[in-house]
Amino acid sequence: MIADRSIVVQDGIRLASPLAIIVATMLFFGGHNQPGGGFAGGLVLGAVVALRSATGLSVPLHPVRMMALGGVIIGGVALGPLVVGDVVLDQYIWETTLPVLGKVKAGTALIFDAGVVLVVLGLIVAMLDALAQGGEHRTTLRLDAEGDREADQ
Amino acid sequence: MSVLVGLAVIVPLLAAMVSLGVRRHAFLRDTVVLGSLVGVTVMSAVLLIQVEANGSLVVRVGGWLPQLGIVLVADMFAVLVLSVAMVTITLVEAFSIGQRRSTAGADPTVAAPMLMVLTAGVALSVLTGDLFTLFVAFELMLVASYVLLTHKGQAGQVRSGMTYVVINLFASTLFLFGVAFVYSATGTVNLALLVERIPELQTEVRWGIGLWFLVVFGTKAAMFPLFSWLPDSYPTAPTTITAVFAGLLTKIGVYVMIRFHTLMSMDDLGTVILVIAGFTMIVGVLGALAQDDMKRILSFHIVSQIGYMLMGLGLFSVAGVAGAIIFVVHQIPVKTVLFLVGAMVETDRRSSALSKLGGLVSSRPWLAVAFALPALSLAGLPPFSGFVAKLALIDAGVEAGTVAIVVVGLVGSALTLLSMVKIWAGVFWGPQNAPAFHAPESEEWAPRSATARGWSTMSLATGAAVALTLAIALFAGPLWDMSERAATELLDGEVYVTDVLGSER
Repeated sequence: MIADRSIVVQDGIRLASPLAIIVATMLFFGGHNQPGGGFAGGLVLGAVVALRSATGLSVPLHPVRMMALGGVIIGGVALGPLVVGDVVLDQYIWETTLPVLGKVKAGTALIFDAGVVLVVLGLIVAMLDALAQGGEHRTTLRLDAEGDREADQ
Repeated sequence: MSVLVGLAVIVPLLAAMVSLGVRRHAFLRDTVVLGSLVGVTVMSAVLLIQVEANGSLVVRVGGWLPQLGIVLVADMFAVLVLSVAMVTITLVEAFSIGQRRSTAGADPTVAAPMLMVLTAGVALSVLTGDLFTLFVAFELMLVASYVLLTHKGQAGQVRSGMTYVVINLFASTLFLFGVAFVYSATGTVNLALLVERIPELQTEVRWGIGLWFLVVFGTKAAMFPLFSWLPDSYPTAPTTITAVFAGLLTKIGVYVMIRFHTLMSMDDLGTVILVIAGFTMIVGVLGALAQDDMKRILSFHIVSQIGYMLMGLGLFSVAGVAGAIIFVVHQIPVKTVLFLVGAMVETDRRSSALSKLGGLVSSRPWLAVAFALPALSLAGLPPFSGFVAKLALIDAGVEAGTVAIVVVGLVGSALTLLSMVKIWAGVFWGPQNAPAFHAPESEEWAPRSATARGWSTMSLATGAAVALTLAIALFAGPLWDMSERAATELLDGEVYVTDVLGSER
């Protein structure tokens, strides 16, 4: 652990984490018409999570469930338009004027992008978990398979 | 009805994600996966009937024009291959639910979601109407296949998985370059627009594009001389996984090759493709003859059979391409069922090496029948589906006056029969070798045989797959009509262009 050697690194990353979330949020909302979007936002969050895990700080739990949820959101947004009789992946855009923010434009693509963030972040955390477990991973997998067999029978 | 075209791609992806979420809960996961596969199968069958009756269905994803966005095109060729592919995947998944109860099976917590991703990739590569989406679909299929091949982490799988990943990534890179070349030459990657623009290019550029994509799709399809990765990697995977790969991955390679090269009128390449086809047939089958393991013999056969499909394509006539199409349709279930029988033999005797097997015909007579029928079909004996498909190809070859490839094809068939006899003699005939009990290397990896219920699920799935191959022979008439129509549409190109671009031209 780097953290055992350097309190500067650990505190630095702890303080930087909220800032990274701000950057990620900016990228996420900017993505519609400018560089950025769910994938870029997710990667920024993922980079911070990777640093946090390297210094022993807390990281999000249940990465696989996060990926699955993100994927279901994406699939739902893709299939949603079919329910009202439009084509797959069609999108709807709303525009309103809010106090403080002014004119706001939002589309279903935003929900889609939120799904992308979850998938990217979940994937990175899942990879970190797998790397951290190293050799133990195979035994965990096998134990799971055993559990399944018992559940089946 | 066109709703189904989009659903055929999105439903497997959604099911992959849901089954990933519930991967530890065996019953829920299996229900989601098998349920969605059955759903997609039904959808593709409905599409087949619909397209047969009313012509192609085209979906503009997100409502964008074909010039700007992605189109999904369900024409005759696409729905024909899609339906067979989906039935086959469904049967394999049913089989693997049965096999799970023995250690020979794939780990379902990983394999089930990944199989769905692979299914989505297959559906998308069959239905897509532009080159870039095709690239994405291939990647989807390949990324899933990397995981499926290596997820058990055994030494042999990782070693051959490395070759598999490197070669496929290299081919994908070439694919991406190819897409860029096509775009810079024509200004579009939409297949329908390319049908109009590619013939206007200079001959040299057209040859370049044609040969480039021949190499790209040929690597995925395992044609000579780009096949060496296949017999090395396929036999190491869990057998149900190999069954899906054998039935689908290389055939999708051939599928896109047929689609691209016929639509783009690459007739000039006919001779090149025919020569490659001849070598693929013979080298593949000779490789098979040299092997002494059931899975390895069958893996080399995948290569050999690819040669026949290329032969049909190389003729560039309606009869030839229709022959290639019906050959693809017949190969998908036949190849899969042979590997499923291989998986059952392996579960029963814990080995697939010919020297350790024997006498199965007396202990498992039905298994012998389930092997014999598709094996004879693979060799091309009447009255099975292989005969129909090979007859069509030979007929087309004679008609086109290319005697050399016809002779090579017939020799290849005879050798195929010989290697099937080799499996038959080694596995099913002879004295009944007692299952060789090796002391398991560690307690953890001790083999576990299938339970009675697991075995009957496996038998049922295999039986259904055999029935499917027989049904193809039985419905050879209507299938031939559909293949011929698909071939005419592909070679003409005009039908495809009008379907996709419609009135905006």
